[in-house]
Amino acid sequence: MPDAAASSVDPALIQGHKTYSQVTEEVFAPTEQAPSKAWIIAVLCTGSLMALGAWAVTQTLTTGIGTWGLNKTVGWAFDITNFVFWVGIGHAGTLISAILYLFRQHWRTSINRAAEAMTIFAVMCAGLFPLIHMGRPWVAHWALPLPNTRGPLWVNFRSPLLWDVFAISTYFIISAVFWYIGLLPDLATMRDRAAGGLRKAALSVFSLGWNGSNHTWRRYESLYGLLAGLATPLVVSVHTIVSMDFATSVIPGWHATLFPPYFVVGAVFSGFAMVLCLMVVARKLMGFEEYITLSHLDAMCKVVLTTGSIVALAYATEFFTAWYSVNPFERYVFLNRAMGPYKWAFWTMVSCNVVTPQFFWFEKIRRSPLLVFILCIFVNIGMWFERFVIIVTSLHRDYLPSSWVIYRPTFIEVATLLGSFGLFLTLFLVFCRVLPMIAASEVKGVLKHGDH
Amino acid sequence: MRIWKSLGQRRGELQPPADEFPEALPVGESVRQVTRRDFFRWSGLGFAVGLASGCDSKKAHKAMALIQGQEGFTPGVDAWYATTCRGCSAGCGILAKSRDGRAIKLEGNPDHPVGRGALCAVGQAQLRDLYDGERLKGPRIDGSGPGGSAARDCDWAWLDRDLEKAFAEVESRGGRVRVLSNTLTSPTLRAAVGRFLEGFAEGRLVQYDPISTSAIRLAYERTHGVSLMPAFHLEQARFILGVEADFMGTWINPAGFGRAYASGRTPDGKEGMSRHVQVESGMSLTGSNADSRVRIAPMETPAFMEHLAFEVERHVGLNPAARILPLDPKLSRKAEELAQELGAHAGQSLVLCGFNDLHAQIFTARINRALGNEGRTLDLAKPSLQRQGDDAALDSLLREMAEGRVDALLVLEANPAFEVPGFEQSARKVPLRIGLGLHDDETAALCTHLAPDHHPLETWRDGEPLAGTWNLHQPLLNPLFQTRDAAESLAQWAGRPATAQDQVKTRWQAEVFPKAGGLSFGDFWHGVVERGFAVVAIEAPPPPYREDRARTHSEWTARAFLKAADHQLLLYTKVSNLEGRHAHNPWLQELPDPITKITWDNYAQLSPGTAEDLKLQQGDVVRLRHPGLPDLVLPVVVQPGLHGRTVAVALGYGRAKGGKHGTGVGTNAFLWVTMGALRGYQGLPVELSPTPQRTELACTQDHHAMEGRELVREMGFAAYAKDPAAARPHEHSGALPSLYAGHPKGKHQWAMVIDLSKCSGCSACVISCQAENNIPTVGRDEVRRKREMHWMRLDRYYTGSEEEPGVVHQPMLCQQCGNAPCENVCPVVATVHSDEGLNQQVYNRCVGTRYCANNCPYKTRRFNWFEYGHSDPVERLALNPDVTVRSRGVMEKCSFCIQRIQHTKAQAKNEGRELRDGECQTACQQSCPGMAILFGDLNDPGSEISRAMTDPKRYLVLGELGVMPAVNYLTKIRNGEVPGEAAPHAGGPHA
Repeated sequence: MPDAAASSVDPALIQGHKTYSQVTEEVFAPTEQAPSKAWIIAVLCTGSLMALGAWAVTQTLTTGIGTWGLNKTVGWAFDITNFVFWVGIGHAGTLISAILYLFRQHWRTSINRAAEAMTIFAVMCAGLFPLIHMGRPWVAHWALPLPNTRGPLWVNFRSPLLWDVFAISTYFIISAVFWYIGLLPDLATMRDRAAGGLRKAALSVFSLGWNGSNHTWRRYESLYGLLAGLATPLVVSVHTIVSMDFATSVIPGWHATLFPPYFVVGAVFSGFAMVLCLMVVARKLMGFEEYITLSHLDAMCKVVLTTGSIVALAYATEFFTAWYSVNPFERYVFLNRAMGPYKWAFWTMVSCNVVTPQFFWFEKIRRSPLLVFILCIFVNIGMWFERFVIIVTSLHRDYLPSSWVIYRPTFIEVATLLGSFGLFLTLFLVFCRVLPMIAASEVKGVLKHGDH
Repeated sequence: MRIWKSLGQRRGELQPPADEFPEALPVGESVRQVTRRDFFRWSGLGFAVGLASGCDSKKAHKAMALIQGQEGFTPGVDAWYATTCRGCSAGCGILAKSRDGRAIKLEGNPDHPVGRGALCAVGQAQLRDLYDGERLKGPRIDGSGPGGSAARDCDWAWLDRDLEKAFAEVESRGGRVRVLSNTLTSPTLRAAVGRFLEGFAEGRLVQYDPISTSAIRLAYERTHGVSLMPAFHLEQARFILGVEADFMGTWINPAGFGRAYASGRTPDGKEGMSRHVQVESGMSLTGSNADSRVRIAPMETPAFMEHLAFEVERHVGLNPAARILPLDPKLSRKAEELAQELGAHAGQSLVLCGFNDLHAQIFTARINRALGNEGRTLDLAKPSLQRQGDDAALDSLLREMAEGRVDALLVLEANPAFEVPGFEQSARKVPLRIGLGLHDDETAALCTHLAPDHHPLETWRDGEPLAGTWNLHQPLLNPLFQTRDAAESLAQWAGRPATAQDQVKTRWQAEVFPKAGGLSFGDFWHGVVERGFAVVAIEAPPPPYREDRARTHSEWTARAFLKAADHQLLLYTKVSNLEGRHAHNPWLQELPDPITKITWDNYAQLSPGTAEDLKLQQGDVVRLRHPGLPDLVLPVVVQPGLHGRTVAVALGYGRAKGGKHGTGVGTNAFLWVTMGALRGYQGLPVELSPTPQRTELACTQDHHAMEGRELVREMGFAAYAKDPAAARPHEHSGALPSLYAGHPKGKHQWAMVIDLSKCSGCSACVISCQAENNIPTVGRDEVRRKREMHWMRLDRYYTGSEEEPGVVHQPMLCQQCGNAPCENVCPVVATVHSDEGLNQQVYNRCVGTRYCANNCPYKTRRFNWFEYGHSDPVERLALNPDVTVRSRGVMEKCSFCIQRIQHTKAQAKNEGRELRDGECQTACQQSCPGMAILFGDLNDPGSEISRAMTDPKRYLVLGELGVMPAVNYLTKIRNGEVPGEAAPHAGGPHA
């Protein structure tokens, strides 16, 4: 097995010559101490954002979709942009935890837990948008193939939106199970360290009777491997299906066979950028610099660079195809993207997604947490705009010029977007406090055994 | 007798207390004053008051089951009444659909000689007018006369008593009574007015039209010795020259003219296609349909008409006097060319002039006479009575009133306080002012007594729009409010009370029946009630031409003209709002103007060149100045095709009291109408000064070019006539390969063909669809957010240059695609395909993802962004019970009027027969003045639609997408040059 060699040759995976007990102490410390002031302030901030979002969603639900800036021509804008954005963010977690696991990339161990948590929270945020974007969300369950008493009414299996329902729910379930299974050894450690009382009792239940025996570990490893295998195709399938919302339509700018790979790569790109942003902050705040090392940042930046370049290629391909098709509608949409009323969004997207990652050719930049953070924020902005550009610029000027319009978001829509960030960050902050942010059991597996 | 209570007392050992039951209780004053009985008294009163105030004054609150049926009335089954539209003074015959005692749809009466089955947007919207909850609900008396306290409602007996006293006073003062009204086409009402005025020493009826055509009558008085307006027969004309006359949009009888005009626009007919040239300073709906347009400055028309008259008379061999007024050489050449063309169509041409100018109209009359059009395309023997307004009479009335020489003023079917500048000040000098209008409008606010009339659909009335053509109005429902017919009010005040029905019947018995003939009046009347009109012969010969040319000549040479300023005002009316009488009607307010596509507002139109010179852009607010007139502050609309000097402003906006929908919408431009012997609407010099403000206009279409896309195909008649097959597009034929099996095919396959040569863009279909399908209005702000709900819209594109653009109108509705992009994307199967080829939207299944709307290439789907109000108890009576009212959060769209399809199918089944071709009409098709829309069953090989499908002009919009639309279009054929015709198929993708 190549992994045996790999784990022993990389001396920089975890720094600081940690012992097993040191790892345990350091990783579990935040879950056992009173929250720090910084954490409380952070939660207050993100909680406020979440409250703002809750207000906006309440407005939407009580008054109608009319509170948004949508119109007769542009039927989706912020809602589906946010949806695709958040689904995309989720992809890095699955990629890190499943694909890198299967490829035995051991540097993943110190970030996979947080990345997976991020996946789950991102998918939760994403799932919110298809729900609230409905005109009548109270009948959202009609989109599920539930046996019902409403006569022969069934769902439409030809609709990409239905595929979405399956894709996203599968993704959420598999990710959540995968994450939870991975948590088991650490939950058991927490249980063993707990002083008693409710905490111990609860952790006893959630650690599913983990006893650390050889049997347990063997079953755990095989289950984890299986789940990784299950999750791997999801990395590709989920965003492929999301892209089909657009690709199977007849709208120029949407109707493109390029979309599935383009969306998947874009998702990994944005997901890694988001992981990097969170990790750069978390390693500092939680004092995990020795676990999440500059080498980790370096490796992830390389992924961002690679995927970013592929995304740039996809942009170029789209334009080439539009020109090569000699289809006037297609050609117009792309000209309009780059030169029309939303050119600012387009050029924001291009500068953030094409130019920004090129800085990661330089090792110095890859290893500077501050620069990495800034650049990755830009990537995230760019990726949000990518979805906005695809959705809005394609819709606002499609076939009949008589229906061409300009879409302007309302405060409610902006507040909903901010609220989704509030929800995401709050969940993440809570996660950092109540669960071990780093997979201690896995990290212990990559410590260099000769040192102690 | 001494009363003792105890032994001690008796023995005097105990004294009884001095005041055992003292009067005064040791409590505060206030309590003592309110006794227990008082308390009961007061609380009883309070209870009674509460009870009384909780009661409703309405009498009938009973819903009674219809146990004993009425004759001719079946619940749930439509009854149709033939009556007359009173949206304007044209007098189109309508068929009104009534269900369970309420009117629910108005449609043109195909047998009627005025509208010929067409009904314009305003006519369609009269339904909403009927159910306007803001109409006056009963008589009202102003508290204390002029400038007095708030008006109070009263009952009719009270009002009549009060007026009796007032009329006695009027009589004692001199009895100078004036009745002011818009053109009264009703002989019965005129007779009632006459009888009423007889009771006074000096009574007079003054008629005016808000948009005056007084000059035409005056001109004919001069040329033919009779004050009349000829009846125009556009269907007889092979060449039509319109000069400043928007005859298909707003002028005199737009629906009827539109249908007559369209009848000559058949490129496949034996006689070929008629030709239409429009000379105008603005950009009117009519001008947008012209084969050729000539732009002219607003003040140039009289000179142009003089030149044209000269050229025409010379061409036909008369010897006209030399021309006097200089004219732009380009226009002069144009006049020559037009004279040639007119001459070539002598007796088959028609010149219509809409400029309210005596000389322009005299020249027009001369041209039509010289061409021998009289008796052919225009009828002087049976003239039009649709516009009888007399500007001079109105002007002298204003003077009389201002000088205090009028004792009483009755206003009938008019809103002069809004439409006539200076009316308000003058009218305030009249002590008794009685309003008989329906609405609480500007005039009502000025009146001392209000005696509101019934809505036309609630009462009996008649009308004579063309000499010899008698219309009948009949009620469809009991009056909604405590109103009274104007004829009844007048008869009451004249001391000879009679019901409106009796008055109408009496008049018809006396005037129509003897001429119409027949066995008995009863039979005759029965027939009239069924048909809605009667036509009687007029034997009088047409008046001969006898113009005193010398007089005209001397006047013309002596005439002083307004200075030809750089910017000249053109006051026009919009198709949707006319002169503002319908401002309270949200359907009309939200109807996009056929040319600008702007709703809810008026604005100053400038030509692109002028706007550029002044550095103004669409939406910039500009101030219009003219010495002595209040400034007009309006947003700018840059209008291609406008003459560079024109500043066009629509009248009818800026209502001070136009109800909740009309008040404060736009700016009142009536203040700029010049008064005098002839009211002037155009030519006034205007100074434009920009302001820093900007407004967003509520426009439904922001983009005006087709971007090289082949959405509207256009072709010149000459090219088409040479080779009709050349119109056939190179289209992908046959079905495209598909993964899915096709839809099952049923007994019928519905399809539509829209002939773009016949669509004028008049937008009657939009309102017809709105009325038929319960489409809500959303208001100005929501239209600004591009959320209008119309299922049927008219896309208008410009072609060619900005200065002289071609205009095309394209009705756009759900294309009922055979391979619909909307159907496969709905996750919950809320939009499905029927076996009859319809794309059906299932409202109660829709969850509102809007994916279908996004994926619709035609963008014809409409989403319910909010819960749109249908809660007003009066307004909701207008709802069509056959069509679901959609709730918040669901998608909706054109259904090809499936309720009408089902209705006719059921009818055919009940009668045990097959559906007949043409039996099933969509609402848009029914109302269309141009008969541009054809709807039918493709499975019937003999149907008209099957024939139309083989028309070489047929094409599909975006057919190359493979969505297989069921709506087909016929290439627009223009009898003239088509911009960019060198490449008729340019821009279309050739897959």
